[in-house]
Amino acid sequence: MKDVAVIVEIIESTIQDISYELLGKAKELASQTGGKAVAIAMGNKVDVSSLPCDTVYYIEDDALENFCSLHVKVLSKIVQEVNPKVILAGNTSIGTDLAGHIAVELNIPVASLCNKVSVNENVRATSLAYGGKLLVDLELKERGVILANRGSFTAATEGSPEVKKLSLSDIGIEADNEIEFIDYIKPEEDVDISKFDVLVSVGRGIGGEENIDDAKELAELLGGEISSSRPVVDSEWLPKSRQVGRSGKTVTPNLYLALGISGASEHLEGVKAKNVIAINTDPDAPIFRVSRIGAVIDIFDVIPVLIDKIKEIKD
Amino acid sequence: MKICAILRTVPDLVEEIEVIDDEIEPFAYIANERDEHAVEEAVILKERYGGSVDVIGIVDEDSEEEIEEPLAMALAKGADRAIKLTMSNKSYRRIEQAKALAEYFKDKDYDLILTGIQGIDAFTGMLGPMLSVYMELPFTGYVTSVEAEDGTVKVQKELGGGLLGEFRVKLPAILGIVSAEKPLRFVPLAKLRQVMKKAEIEEDELEIPEFEGVQVVKYYEPEKPEIVLLEGEPEEVADKLIEAFKEIGVL
Ligand SMILES: Cc1cc2nc3c(=O)[nH]c(=O)nc-3n(C[C@H](O)[C@H](O)[C@H](O)COP(=O)(O)OP(=O)(O)OC[C@H]3O[C@@H](n4cnc5c(N)ncnc54)[C@H](O)[C@@H]3O)c2cc1C
Repeated sequence: MKDVAVIVEIIESTIQDISYELLGKAKELASQTGGKAVAIAMGNKVDVSSLPCDTVYYIEDDALENFCSLHVKVLSKIVQEVNPKVILAGNTSIGTDLAGHIAVELNIPVASLCNKVSVNENVRATSLAYGGKLLVDLELKERGVILANRGSFTAATEGSPEVKKLSLSDIGIEADNEIEFIDYIKPEEDVDISKFDVLVSVGRGIGGEENIDDAKELAELLGGEISSSRPVVDSEWLPKSRQVGRSGKTVTPNLYLALGISGASEHLEGVKAKNVIAINTDPDAPIFRVSRIGAVIDIFDVIPVLIDKIKEIKD
Repeated sequence: MKICAILRTVPDLVEEIEVIDDEIEPFAYIANERDEHAVEEAVILKERYGGSVDVIGIVDEDSEEEIEEPLAMALAKGADRAIKLTMSNKSYRRIEQAKALAEYFKDKDYDLILTGIQGIDAFTGMLGPMLSVYMELPFTGYVTSVEAEDGTVKVQKELGGGLLGEFRVKLPAILGIVSAEKPLRFVPLAKLRQVMKKAEIEEDELEIPEFEGVQVVKYYEPEKPEIVLLEGEPEEVADKLIEAFKEIGVL
């Protein structure tokens, strides 16, 4: 029980970036435990030959091409065979479905929302809880399943692992229909916010649909577009195409001006801006920790003044 | 469809949370936002397909949590029954809550159990997948819409980066809702008060088992940001922001 396993995430036959981050961490942890970094990949026609780790268990089958209820069954079998000390999974849609399940089934303690992990006799993890306002250090007895946030670890790039390729029948698993994949849905977009150099991004602090226009005006004056956090989209104040974060877009503008956004980790996963400037009434808002400049002030007090001043400069 | 939605409260992040090593004392609690979406989706499904919605609210025996209001809110929105479940002992371990709930759900025969995909305090895992193992039911999370289709539900699941997947899930099942398919409906305060006055909230106990496995070592605040935060009159702050815009070349 020295190995460190990674649940590789594959969507549309493409290995997702988070998997390389987890493998980067797995290699580091494995060098401490004296074990191997093991990738567990399930899919169809996926090239796993250069994954950065020591061993890849690759279970290939038509039925595994897209995520479904078979994946958790396969994973459970392989994890029992590998018997790792640590299992790293992404704190993602697929990662959560898989990791929570096998943790209980195989009786391994679990830590989630993690951005740090280390090993000794036990497993230690730090969790970014409470919307990023508090950190929680956790100790997991002997072994652990760790659900890690995207962007927490440095990605490893390439390797030449030993690949153990298996089929469903090799491991004695039959098809089932508990959860069947039907199709992918790619929402239509009015605009691609990831293409802009300036984003004025509004959060719940904007208060209502009626206030969005001011933010739009500011965005236009700065030569950019408007984007938002999830609650703004959930409330239908802006369309889904505007959402930045785990479930929305990852954006890389020169300026990300965050208005009334707290800076939850699910949001920040999508913010890869050169310069974040945040305006928020709460001096402890986590958004300030990733900001170049922060202003503790009511957005409704400062936006009209900003708009007037920029107009003056432009005239 | 016989539906159950699970509701929990979490610390209100707008208020202070006091940290005392391996304990925290939040100043106030609010309904977990994702659970509110689960309740909303349950009510949407009932309106569309008929059936019933039970909402269970889980609370800790000796905390200041107020689950009555969120439960009354669920009733005001259209839930049929509200049940307050008090945990026999305080637990931050999701696995303990999952095991206890699985016991509670025995013989309840729900077609669909909806939970919020994750709470802000979900540092020891998520309830849905854990509950599904004990109940031997299928689970999937990050769900944003549900459609019934004889003996199954067709769900849309967020896969990240704007991509959705459509899946067919055999009933009975447990789903982790990330957002309901429509915005949370607004309940006027007067209506909520009215419901609270006459609401019948049933009560039951949740026998929490003990699993050691995972232990909180400590809670702590992250380091303060290194930047100096601008404060003052709007005029002053706006001038400094404009300076910054110029510096980074957007003005
Ligand atoms: C599975 C999952 C996926 C998710 N995916 C995403 C995602 O893709 N994108 C995303 O954004 N979130 C996502 N979330 C939600 C995320 O956890 C947070 O809930 C969300 O980001 C919070 O949005 P917010 O900052 O706008 O709101 P809040 O956290 O409510 O913050 C509002 C902020 O506005 C400030 N404020 C209020 N009024 C004013 C004012 N007048 N002036 C100035 N400041 C003010 C407050 O101080 C507060 O900091 C996801 C959550 C889950 C569980």
